Amino acid sequence: MNCYLCDNRLDLKPSWRDLFFLDPEETICVNCREGFECCGNGCRICGAGGTEICGECSRWETTGFRGAIDSGKCLYAYNEAMKDYFHQFKFLQDVVLAEVFAGELAKAIRKTKASAVPIPMNKDKLRKRTFSQVDSMLDAGRVDYIHLLEKNSEIQGEKTKEERMATRNLFTWNGNPVPKNIVLVDDMYTTGTTLRLAAKVLKESGAERVSFIALIRA
Amino acid sequence: MEAIREFLSGRIWLRDFTPFPQKEIESAIDAGFIVVQKGITEELQCVRCLEHSAEKIVSYNCAKCEAVCYYCRHCIRMGRVSSCTDLITWKDPLSSSPYSHSFTWNGELTDLQQQASYELEESLRRNRSHLVYAVCGAGKTELLYPPLYKALSEGKRICIAAPRTDVVLELSPRLKAVFPDTAIHALYGGATFEEGFAQLVVATTHQLYRFREAFDLVIVDEADAFPYSFDPALARAVGKSLKKDAPIIYVSATPSRNLLKTVPNQSKIFRRFHGHELPVPAFRSLWNYRKSFNTKRIPEKLERWIKLRLEKNEPFMLFFPTIEMIRQAEPLFKSIHNGIEAVHSKDEDRKEKVMKLRNGEILGVLTSTILERGVTIENIQVGVVGADEEVFEASALIQMAGRAGRSSAYPNGEVVFFHNGISRQMDKARNLIISYNREGGR
Repeated sequence: MNCYLCDNRLDLKPSWRDLFFLDPEETICVNCREGFECCGNGCRICGAGGTEICGECSRWETTGFRGAIDSGKCLYAYNEAMKDYFHQFKFLQDVVLAEVFAGELAKAIRKTKASAVPIPMNKDKLRKRTFSQVDSMLDAGRVDYIHLLEKNSEIQGEKTKEERMATRNLFTWNGNPVPKNIVLVDDMYTTGTTLRLAAKVLKESGAERVSFIALIRA
Repeated sequence: MEAIREFLSGRIWLRDFTPFPQKEIESAIDAGFIVVQKGITEELQCVRCLEHSAEKIVSYNCAKCEAVCYYCRHCIRMGRVSSCTDLITWKDPLSSSPYSHSFTWNGELTDLQQQASYELEESLRRNRSHLVYAVCGAGKTELLYPPLYKALSEGKRICIAAPRTDVVLELSPRLKAVFPDTAIHALYGGATFEEGFAQLVVATTHQLYRFREAFDLVIVDEADAFPYSFDPALARAVGKSLKKDAPIIYVSATPSRNLLKTVPNQSKIFRRFHGHELPVPAFRSLWNYRKSFNTKRIPEKLERWIKLRLEKNEPFMLFFPTIEMIRQAEPLFKSIHNGIEAVHSKDEDRKEKVMKLRNGEILGVLTSTILERGVTIENIQVGVVGADEEVFEASALIQMAGRAGRSSAYPNGEVVFFHNGISRQMDKARNLIISYNREGGR
């Protein structure tokens, strides 16, 4: 088979690991894999590199969202390779690209030992895009998950940060039973507003601990 | 409505992504002018690019249909085609009627060009495919002008398909100058939308996916070039874009054996239009050049060659096997002279830089195979770093060598293959060039 990204032949070297473990199959070549840049460990809330708590998160902690998110982690930086990948996945709708990071995402989620809850898409938008990038990654990684939220129609990208902060009713609880320990899953962490709005609704609906895993830190 | 008709005639397009308001498209569909078709057939073939391999036609859970749908990964960059997307074409396409075009070329063909041009016209008269096998700098484009003029005047719709955007960008202004009254569109990834019905289309080969039974003649320029020879889907695209029984003209300096065998009518020109021989590449060893660049040094022999070019004020092209090596080398060469630029396929300023190079505003350029074809720069000297590397097949090496000595003012240019051990492909390229010179001299 060929690399999902550059279409060159994949040289798959058989290994002992393949024999004994059911790792998800590699879908991209070593060259393409090298283009992606891992996020370091840092801020205890959002996982951004450097300090114990980053400037953005400490500002959040002075708002009504204090304590909404207990901890979090982003897997990759939003570099050129990731921009290309994300464009092809989300906007060109190349659904199979969900497989590229599914294994890693699944591993990070399982490590939290919490129930996975994807950040949902608005229903109309989902129909338009024909797939949800978060759900399809979870499916590809064979992670069990439950939908607890519904997203009301609002487009994040067209708003300023202040407007985003003020958007309080982006999500509503859909009525399904809420586990105590939840890990929210999203594709991209930009300002952290989306995840905090979701976390807050979940805590108000009975969750005790809410963490998150995001594929990309923008 | 007429604008939509002009646009959709011979085209096959995603219903949701036309340059027209959705409402107008809908009413044309309701009126029965537009044929709608699902993007992926029952047999799991992409209707646009005709791909049908299981690796490229993949399934997914579609939230729109709440069912399993399929989409094509092969042509996804032109907007995704899936089993639940609609493709549209105009039912009764426009065809151009014969009318007189202006033909404002006042150059002259050499005897060899003239003969090939006649042979080509003869093939077209009999509606047969034809191969023009002519060395770099033989003047292939010019010999196409008279047959093109004739075909246009007969009302034929014609497409010239080239393997690369750079070639399309060089070719289309030349054609517009020669046929000033003809509607000519240039199509490539990222091109801006042009209104109207073009009788002559200059397009990258990929753009042919978006046509169906549109052309009375397709001219496949540089028929051997990657990605054309590598990708059978592109060959199918050429077939799909043609009207029934319409001929194809192949033009190549390095045709594949397959092409030589399968095209019955052929013209050969092994002499450049100015009558001089092709520069024969010199082989020069450049041991461990990779290591040198890794340790931020330009290999000594190469540095000497470059400095000599700068001293003599000769523009140069230096080809590299990988984009990575170009990136490594760029700052090193810039420290020799700031007027040296790098151009590769992932370069955002590629279009501007190539233009500057053509206008002689750049001293020298470090580049990848994107500039191996279709580029003419007066008095250019050519170096290939790592000519022994696998990416450089004989045909690519011949093309790169063919950049040198193209103008009659400077018919001799230097071509140096810098290598880390002579490869078979290098030998093959050199031997072929020598044999062309021998044949052409007869």
